Amino acid sequence: MANPSFASRMPAIQVAEEKYSAHLGLDPHGIRIHFRGTISTANPATVLNPFVDSVHEHVLETSAKEVRVDLTQLEFCNSSGFKSFIHWIERIQQAPEPKRYRLRFVSTKERKWQRTSLLALSCYGVNIVAIDGAP
Amino acid sequence: MTLSENFKSGDFPIQLLIRMSPPWVFIDELRRFTESFCACACPGQDREAQVALAVHELMQNAVPHAHGEEVELMLEVSRERDVVAIRVSNRCSDEDYQALRERIERMNGEPDALAHYVQMMRENPASTRGGLGLARVRFEAQLEISVRREAGRVIVEACGPLRAPRLPAVGGIHG
Repeated sequence: MANPSFASRMPAIQVAEEKYSAHLGLDPHGIRIHFRGTISTANPATVLNPFVDSVHEHVLETSAKEVRVDLTQLEFCNSSGFKSFIHWIERIQQAPEPKRYRLRFVSTKERKWQRTSLLALSCYGVNIVAIDGAP
Repeated sequence: MTLSENFKSGDFPIQLLIRMSPPWVFIDELRRFTESFCACACPGQDREAQVALAVHELMQNAVPHAHGEEVELMLEVSRERDVVAIRVSNRCSDEDYQALRERIERMNGEPDALAHYVQMMRENPASTRGGLGLARVRFEAQLEISVRREAGRVIVEACGPLRAPRLPAVGGIHG
């Protein structure tokens, strides 16, 4: 169970656009970032990168070693939106070694693009990206 | 043999042609439609999500360069020839065409699609738009990409087998 006092201190880090949203939440495994909808605008990085930066700062403050990135409700992400995950990996790579953490992506086989996109992302973020689901 | 029997035996190509005037917002609907279309046209091939991803990325590349003019999408699947082909065409400037041709030539010069994709991730800053779409189509959709110019229009074609091998689980940590 998530610690209620920890949960009450958790900042409201979220972003919402017309077709997609993302927010930081807490589950029994720790920090979980939920993405929903369809990321398909021309330049979603202008919205998503600041969100990723806020999440990253929060994770560093809490010294968490793993963050779950839940894509199960994400219908689609275009290549421009995909770059925000690359940005996130780069932020982790730039952090001091003891502060680095893992991104554990939670995917669904219902969204078949997720498997191949995460395979590619795992090759970019070796030792940072882990993948659950969508065998 | 009736048309229905021909279809069931899969011995003729199935084509979809859409001519669209931008705007951008219809690309999501096109992706969903082509995914459904492909699932119906080639049932059991498990190719529809990859084709839909390719359509999305190619249309997304085309629309900003079309300067408000029409963009044409042609999708063809042939079970007999084991081929899926996507063609996207739009009017574009010589400069845009040359830049695109050079990018595709460079991409095709790297035989390892995944290696090129990862290289593009390194080279294209996350704060800027574009740079990943073609590499994504080539690796994730397992389609080879070519480009040509006809009558002032650029035609980008992505073509590959309908029965593509499943990509192996590579890299990262799979928990």
